[in-house]
Amino acid sequence: MADADASADAGNKQSVYHELLSPSELFEARSRSHKIPVRGQKEFLPSGSEQQSQRLQHSLEEHWTLLAEERVERLGNLVNAVWSPEEKLVELQSPAGKFWQTMGFSERGKQYLQPEEALYLMECGNVQVFYRDLPLSIQDGYERFLSSDTVTLHQYQVFGHLKRLGYVVNRFDPSSVSSTYERQLNLPASDKQKKQLKRKRSQSPVSSDKHGISTEEKTTSEAHNELAETSKLPADLQEPVHLADAPERTWWMEEDVQQKHPKTQTAAPRWDFSSISFPDLGSRRRSERLASPHRSLLPENVDVGECDVSRWLGRLNMKQEKLSRRDMERQRERDRYRRDVNSDREVRRCRNWAEYSELMEERRRRRRKHRPEHLWEREETPLTQPGQCTSHRELLDQIGIIKSSTFSEGLSRLSPSDQWKISFDVYQPDTVAEFKKSHPGKPYTRMCVCSFAGPVPDLHAVKQLSFQSQDVPVTFAVVDHGDISFYCFKDFKLPTDVY
Amino acid sequence: MDGDPAVMKVPRSSSVEVKEDMDTKSEKQATRDALIDISFCGSTPMLWKVSDMKKCRSEGVIGALVGSLARQPRQNVRLGRPLELRPEEALLLLEKEKSTAAVRLDTQQDCEDEEAHSEAVRLYEAGLESSYQEQCVLALEDKKKTLNRVMNEKENGTEGSGSAVRERLEALDQSFSFPWSAMAVQLCTARSGFSHCPEERSFHSTDCPMPRDEHLNTRFSVYRDLRNKGYYLTSAGKFGGDFLVYPGDPLRFHAHYIALCVSLDEEMPVCDILAIARLGSNVKKTVLLCSPQEGDVVYSSLQWSSMV
Repeated sequence: MADADASADAGNKQSVYHELLSPSELFEARSRSHKIPVRGQKEFLPSGSEQQSQRLQHSLEEHWTLLAEERVERLGNLVNAVWSPEEKLVELQSPAGKFWQTMGFSERGKQYLQPEEALYLMECGNVQVFYRDLPLSIQDGYERFLSSDTVTLHQYQVFGHLKRLGYVVNRFDPSSVSSTYERQLNLPASDKQKKQLKRKRSQSPVSSDKHGISTEEKTTSEAHNELAETSKLPADLQEPVHLADAPERTWWMEEDVQQKHPKTQTAAPRWDFSSISFPDLGSRRRSERLASPHRSLLPENVDVGECDVSRWLGRLNMKQEKLSRRDMERQRERDRYRRDVNSDREVRRCRNWAEYSELMEERRRRRRKHRPEHLWEREETPLTQPGQCTSHRELLDQIGIIKSSTFSEGLSRLSPSDQWKISFDVYQPDTVAEFKKSHPGKPYTRMCVCSFAGPVPDLHAVKQLSFQSQDVPVTFAVVDHGDISFYCFKDFKLPTDVY
Repeated sequence: MDGDPAVMKVPRSSSVEVKEDMDTKSEKQATRDALIDISFCGSTPMLWKVSDMKKCRSEGVIGALVGSLARQPRQNVRLGRPLELRPEEALLLLEKEKSTAAVRLDTQQDCEDEEAHSEAVRLYEAGLESSYQEQCVLALEDKKKTLNRVMNEKENGTEGSGSAVRERLEALDQSFSFPWSAMAVQLCTARSGFSHCPEERSFHSTDCPMPRDEHLNTRFSVYRDLRNKGYYLTSAGKFGGDFLVYPGDPLRFHAHYIALCVSLDEEMPVCDILAIARLGSNVKKTVLLCSPQEGDVVYSSLQWSSMV
């Protein structure tokens, strides 16, 4: 068998088609040129002339020479790695090079590369991947590493294209996207590694009613303190303090509110504010003492008597405000066209908010009596009336039957689709110097790979992907037989105001 | 055998035997060389060897290069191997099976036979070792040559130059070391062990994992017809069409037409026709609407002209 191979090899060596380099060729490859020849201008019509065919031959020869060149590297510059088809990962055997700054990850003391990263590094000539002790060719790499489980051919083409331009490209991890709430709180980016070994601390369990109630009581008492320090409130509008009237009532908490507590702690507390009466310590009719809270609100064995708030009252600032001249001028400007609601006698007669809104409604009704009947007394009424709006935008809002929507509306109802998935996070090339794999930060854009053979993303897909990506724009990379085009969809708001 | 890049040295003594074997083997080799190896990455047909690409181009099949170029891998202006084939191009190559270029399906096979595999590993390691030895010799020779050149330039014509050079050369012989890590190694692009593959399957169009649908059949008929007329065709996704039609090799000529394949009974809205006509006039190419009809293909060209 070996002899037959040897003779076949001898024949192969002599034929032009074999692609293995001899040691002398390998040695000579050290002094190869690294420049790519520039392609000349193209011509319009084939004329069959000698000159044209010569030029064509020359271009073709150049083309084949470039393509036929094999990758030759110094063995010491190559990083060795091993392909593991069970884990679908490439494990490094020798220390990583410069590429480790932006590619690869460590786990259990070993260094790994994702298959697409390994294939890209193979194509650059930095890594030599072995499988069962034999080195893999680039062709083997394409056929073994790229699959629907890892990264498809189209996705790899986009990956390679971006990496060759210098971008840092990572696989997209849906759990690494921070929600709107987290961004609002401006939390430091938590260590969300792809394979987190440390288990997150579990939530403390929801305990009994008392636990729930006491925390709520705590928050309301804080609110109470805040209220106590606000300056004068319109006394007449305030609900009279019921404390003196009903001592058996709980301290500014109704009975039914308590029953709502046994529900889950995580649900937003729904308080019935019409039945909660906050003590108004700023009103003229104020009492020096507050009744003690209901026993159910307090921890066991704690007995709280009446609360003496005279000390607090003493600290309330009831003095007339002394404004500087400039402040007084400013206030005069503001008040010039403002009329105090309370100067209206009818408003002063209202004892609570409900009566006030009734008064407003009555006034509106009186106004409407001057409107033409044939318009306003039918089933369909006009959307607006003259004098009601002061700007174009208001007017358009009122007469707009079709409401414009944005990307972010109605997203919770969307179900994730199988066809459209975000593949990669892309970071800009100029951030490479400070790039940290553990805290990559917010990506520049996220890529979704598709092809011209497939459908154009519909609104559902675009919305769902932009929701999944939150504040990072999504770019569609469309692959067409090696040609890659990038498209993105941007939200556009129609102008509604004239400036 | 899979992944066997062993470089074998033919011992001189057995050169006669080799020659006899070579006669019969060269015939086989000739037929083997006439085959084009198509390998599939998923459902995409690809060519990896330069010889196969040359054969394809002589048939008029251009394809698209999608890999990194070996000389400069970190740029996108000029890409290298592999050559991705369109399904129509692969089908055309398959059709020509009966004439000159026959096609062979290249699939990766994990070597089941443990013995054969360890033999392959042994051969590979032996190959590395022999390459290292040869490179040692070559490196030493190279160093000696440069030393000679430098010394002769420096001490041109002086009396003691000959002995000084000899001394330096001797010192070099003794102190020269060529570490293992300095050896140059090839990272193969194509799977190099293929020609040693024991079994050869003949490739039928039903074997290929490409999905076939009506649109592909339409496109293939148009592709075949245009190719037979002598045009060269490449992808035209960015131009809104199916093919870009060149009068000559795309390396040297500009495209003249954008071909859009529609079946005769397909309804096309007017706005689509307007859009593609506008596009064609903007890029100065004529738009061709191509429809296969009973073995032949009907072409309609669109020209944008203003109302007079």
